Amino acid sequence: MGEAESSRGSLPAGIPLPLEVRVHGRGGQGGVTCAKLIATVYAEQGLHVQTFGDYGSERTGAPVRAFARVDTVPIRNHNKVYRPHHLVVLDAALLGDDVLEGAEPGAVVLLNTARGLEPFADKHGHFRFAAVDATAIARRHGIGTSAVVIINTTLAGAYARAMGLSWEAVERAFAVQGLERDLPAAREAWETVQVREADPGDGTPVRSAPFPASVIGIAEHVHDIPTPLRTGAWRTQMPLYRSHAAPCNGGCPAGNDVVGFVQALHKGGVQAAAQVLFRTQPLPSVCGRVCPAPCMSACNRDAYDGAVNIRGLERWIGDHVLATPERPAPAAQRRRIAVVGSGPAGLGAAFALATAGHEVTLVEGENCLGGVLRTGIPAYRLPEEILDRDISRILALGVSARTGTFLDASGVADLAASHEAVIVAAGLPRLTGLDAPGVGLPGVLQGIRFLDDVKRGAAPRLSGAVVVVGGGNTAIDCARTALRLGAASVSIAYRRGRKEMPAIAPEIDEAVAEGVKLLLHRQPVRASGQGRVESLDLAEVELGEPDASGRRRPVVTGRTSTIPCDALLLALGQSADLSIVPSFPNVFTAGDMATGDGTVTHALGSGRRVAARVLARLAGEPEPVEERVPPQALVTAAHVRFSHFSVALPEVERHRAGPGGALGFDEVSLGLDGPSEASRCFSCGACTSCDTCLLYCPEGVIHRIGHGYRVDEAYCKGCGMCVAECPRRAMEMVMEASAR
Amino acid sequence: MSTSFGQLLSANHAAALGATLAARANRTGRGFVSGVYPITPSTECMELLCNQEIEKGRVVRVESEHSAMGVCIGGAASGARTFTTSSSNGIAFMAENMVAAALLRLPVVMVAANRTLGPPWNIWADHGDTLMLRDAGWIQLYCADNQEVLDSVLCAYRLAEDRRILLPALVCQEAFVLSHTMARTLVPTQEQVDRFLPPLDLPGRLGGTARIVGGLTAPHATEVHRAQHHEAMGRFFGVYREVQDRFEEVFGRRPADPVVPYRADDADVLVVSMGTIGSTVERAVDAAREKGIRLGGLRVRTFRPFPAELLAAAFRGRGRIAVVDRNVSLGFGGVLWGEARGLADPGAVVQGYMIGIGGGDVRPEHVLAIAEDLSSREAAGPPVLLEAGA
Amino acid sequence: MSEPLLRPGNGNCGGCGMSSAFQFLGRAREERPIQVVIPASCAAVAVGQFPYSAMGAPTILTTFGSAAAVATGMSHAGRLNGEGTRVVCWAGDGGTYDIGMASLSGAAERNEDILYVCYDNEIYGNTGGQRSSATPHGAATSNTLRGKVEQKKDILGIMAAHRIPYAASVSLAHPEDAIRKMRRALDLQGFRFLHVLAPCPTGWKSEPALGIELVRLAVRSGLFPVVEVVDGRRTTINVEPDFSEEALELYLSLQRRFQKSEIGAADLRPDIERHWRDLRARSGRIVPADREG
Repeated sequence: MGEAESSRGSLPAGIPLPLEVRVHGRGGQGGVTCAKLIATVYAEQGLHVQTFGDYGSERTGAPVRAFARVDTVPIRNHNKVYRPHHLVVLDAALLGDDVLEGAEPGAVVLLNTARGLEPFADKHGHFRFAAVDATAIARRHGIGTSAVVIINTTLAGAYARAMGLSWEAVERAFAVQGLERDLPAAREAWETVQVREADPGDGTPVRSAPFPASVIGIAEHVHDIPTPLRTGAWRTQMPLYRSHAAPCNGGCPAGNDVVGFVQALHKGGVQAAAQVLFRTQPLPSVCGRVCPAPCMSACNRDAYDGAVNIRGLERWIGDHVLATPERPAPAAQRRRIAVVGSGPAGLGAAFALATAGHEVTLVEGENCLGGVLRTGIPAYRLPEEILDRDISRILALGVSARTGTFLDASGVADLAASHEAVIVAAGLPRLTGLDAPGVGLPGVLQGIRFLDDVKRGAAPRLSGAVVVVGGGNTAIDCARTALRLGAASVSIAYRRGRKEMPAIAPEIDEAVAEGVKLLLHRQPVRASGQGRVESLDLAEVELGEPDASGRRRPVVTGRTSTIPCDALLLALGQSADLSIVPSFPNVFTAGDMATGDGTVTHALGSGRRVAARVLARLAGEPEPVEERVPPQALVTAAHVRFSHFSVALPEVERHRAGPGGALGFDEVSLGLDGPSEASRCFSCGACTSCDTCLLYCPEGVIHRIGHGYRVDEAYCKGCGMCVAECPRRAMEMVMEASAR
Repeated sequence: MSTSFGQLLSANHAAALGATLAARANRTGRGFVSGVYPITPSTECMELLCNQEIEKGRVVRVESEHSAMGVCIGGAASGARTFTTSSSNGIAFMAENMVAAALLRLPVVMVAANRTLGPPWNIWADHGDTLMLRDAGWIQLYCADNQEVLDSVLCAYRLAEDRRILLPALVCQEAFVLSHTMARTLVPTQEQVDRFLPPLDLPGRLGGTARIVGGLTAPHATEVHRAQHHEAMGRFFGVYREVQDRFEEVFGRRPADPVVPYRADDADVLVVSMGTIGSTVERAVDAAREKGIRLGGLRVRTFRPFPAELLAAAFRGRGRIAVVDRNVSLGFGGVLWGEARGLADPGAVVQGYMIGIGGGDVRPEHVLAIAEDLSSREAAGPPVLLEAGA
Repeated sequence: MSEPLLRPGNGNCGGCGMSSAFQFLGRAREERPIQVVIPASCAAVAVGQFPYSAMGAPTILTTFGSAAAVATGMSHAGRLNGEGTRVVCWAGDGGTYDIGMASLSGAAERNEDILYVCYDNEIYGNTGGQRSSATPHGAATSNTLRGKVEQKKDILGIMAAHRIPYAASVSLAHPEDAIRKMRRALDLQGFRFLHVLAPCPTGWKSEPALGIELVRLAVRSGLFPVVEVVDGRRTTINVEPDFSEEALELYLSLQRRFQKSEIGAADLRPDIERHWRDLRARSGRIVPADREG
């Protein structure tokens, strides 16, 4: 036994000596350190080693090579490795003839790949193959950056395992190089590396191309010869244009494409915007006036300089759109459907059905269509002609209306017999009363009835002090209407704070501006008077312990005060009367009656969804489910690059005569002066072709294609700048499948 | 003060006038750009140049020798004729860009007033400054008188700008011995120079084409480029003969050969040298011949490219050869000796002498002493550093 | 649109700020003929291996300290021949603040007709990340492992002191201002100097995607003033920082080069304030200008 044999120490039998290792990687992955670590593993076993990088001009991502030699005697040659026994490939995308060059059958190829051994099995059977997903492991362990993951140490762990070296040898080598921090990643690679033995078949070593032939002389170099470097091969991730859901869309109960119509208004004008709205929204003029606009609460711009005035823009569209929707072609399978109730839910259902080409009959108890929109909303907020215009658009689709037809359960049953389906959307006719002594006195009225009477021209004359109980829009409407009818003073008693009032905030502001007083954290406990209400006892309300939902419940205290009260209007909520709905399989409920949400927008959405459900049921198809966007897919304020937008405060509606002027029933809000507010929309998650990606691409490889963009994959280095700079999360980085 | 006998000029001024004539001759081409910076003893050359009116020419008074050559590189790369001058540590500071000019194959012409490198500071003659750039890729011509300086500047442009060569050229003249020594010098007319020196038409000049000049180069391309550079040097002697012919045709006198023999054909002892020592050798040879000693001289005028074949031919049959260097390659000996010693016949005694270092004044008696020393030697010894004193 | 100045297929790292700066200058130049002078630097390596070109303009690579000198020669040759070609030096901080300072200063003093752009990545990137005199206090480099002790030079102040026609700092996070300055600088005669803060993900140990955001933070925090100086006298502040602690802390924390020294916003604040007092005095404008978006 010679000296060389004896000094092999504990080296596994499969490792030849002298050993030559070649590492192929990309600049930044740490190929040189990888070779150094491998050499250190052997050096720590008493062997002579040599390791070096192929230094050049390589930058992050460019192919680089490094080498290691191992022998029992000092290594004297200083040339590169041309006949590697071991090939370590830090990036599977590099695997080509130039990488495999010089490797003899039986050589070991260790590959960093996410695809396992399979894809390489057929092609390189004569090599012993090992595969590990070092990128994923190193990324998990946070080694490097997301664009440039440093995988050298991880791969060194896989190398040791694949070659049969001991884990202790790896630990020693890492300690020598001061890389102990990366040991957990190396260990994970050690544990997960897969190995496939070589098929000693007929493989032939890969041989290089002939030496390059001609070189242009320095003095003869006169032409432009563009660089042939395809830097796209450096990339591990790739930018992708992908829309994300805007929070306004996610927040719209009617299901409107809010960002879609605002952007359409911004870029294409009113008609284009209306086209988007009419997909889900038949009452833009109405909602543009009375919607509490959850979209605005969700608007990401709120976190910057104020939410976009979406409601105002919707109104602008509704008030300025010229064309009525075209009368749709009859559906192939035309359904005959009755809709009971012409409030927002009924109108929403009728619109959806008619738009789809079905025969719709709208049945309304009152003499005019509109339900609560007509009876429950004061004209200074929603003039009747505005409501008529929105409704006429629906009727123009071919919807037939039967008004003045109150239906009880048997009436609905008759309809069910003569129609394929009936949708009942009768709203919330039952009114919540106040449980307090004295509420039976004359002068105590239900607010909703009061409003209805006013609309019918049967308004009671009011004088003195009027107190409204409640915090919703009905309470505000009652208070402002009372002012208009001559009340000397109007107060709203509400048991929580102003922030908790469910009414639309600007409506509260307007009411206060008109002179309505807010009596917050107050609860009426007694109405008193001689034959008629004259005063009201209000108890103070405190917030008690949080309940199960975490919300602190109001607790009525014993501290009371008495205020004069010549009329008491109750606006404490309403509930449905389900007794008119027979339990037939083809009778459905919609709107507040079904959900109790209590807003126009919820009712509209409900009407449309129930219509879709009815159609599916009739067709024997599964009921459509409107997918709710998971919160993580929404664009949040954190995703929006505020720095790309200059501060611009929201535009607010102009108002008729301010405080001090005579209050009438003409519409108070005059709406926006123009649609320019639309330009404030961030367009969260939806590309606006703003060119920011193109502008910031360091490579200049993003090109405009029509309204979109193309990234030149041949050159994109995957730095992610475009995605990071996208103002609105209309892009994202995805792992490069081919590179992995 | 021009007469048919020429003007009384220092070599610095002769060089400046040569450069000026060459500059004006390119007025129909892309003009003349020069970067200059003062250093003793080349200062007067640049001063005179700065005071010339040059149509379509700019002399930029820069902040360092390094930038002086930088300006020349930029000007030459843009196709202008260029010129600069320097000495000693100025050349050392300029060296990086001198290498760049050569490797970019730019036909810059420069005049060096050879001066001792310091510190300690010494302003006097020594060839060590330009020989330090022996391997920098420049043509190097060493002069023995003022006329030769002026003529060499004109020839240098013809040679440097020839498409078969395209290399920078350095005309060397020793500090004070030539630079500040006035002698009768024939200054050609502009019309003559215009005939001799066509406008520069640099094939690879930086124009409007997107292209990288001086880009990163891989080992193989560099191997080829060095070979091409070397081959261009090799073509020098053929081109030089043409230049001599044309010069003679235009100016009526013939520039000296790359190797200038003086009574060398039958010499028992041959003294080989560069620059003004070569002309001093001529006086010593004459004196020796009067005493019946067959002394001969060889003056190496073209040091780069090295005239190895011409020297070998001149050495043929000569048994004793003294190579006299005005420089020391420390730890080796004279630079010229190192290059010439292998070219003699087998058995010939080739002895290296270094003299006139740091401006030591080399006289004919020093040359005769060298000849005597060499005659007494059986075989060559280590190179000898002689003190000229003064 | 004209050809890009730095073509796809160049050798720079992904997310290189110098690449972005090239794209900006490429847009700014439009149809103006330019020639580019690049001293030893990452740029010199990135623009392609012989005989290929990743540059969309005639380009010469020079020795490290010679860009301004070589550009001088080119500029004169161009002018002698009545050419409108703009000669642009494109140098890193090493080639500008350090080894190129003498030739830069000389060319500026002579008011050569050159546009000199310093892309400042605050490190010798091409040699693997050593400190330069542009490296900021507290930044670790491969030869200042615990963070550089010294302050960064005020290059714009130095250049303005030459009373050159135009000197300006350029923020890549403010493209309109940047391109306006590049156009102005291209069109002026005489010596013009632009200082571009160029994020280097490799040297700054930061996410490549966050380069522009880092510049934005540097501007917001007051660390990198965006100004222009005409004739060395008239100073205009182009972008008003918010000087927020948050921006400064974020700027530092997004780069691992500041980790070793544990330098924080409080350490940098006094120098920022002093520098801004000077700037305000020089701009003759104590009241902040309108903040650009």
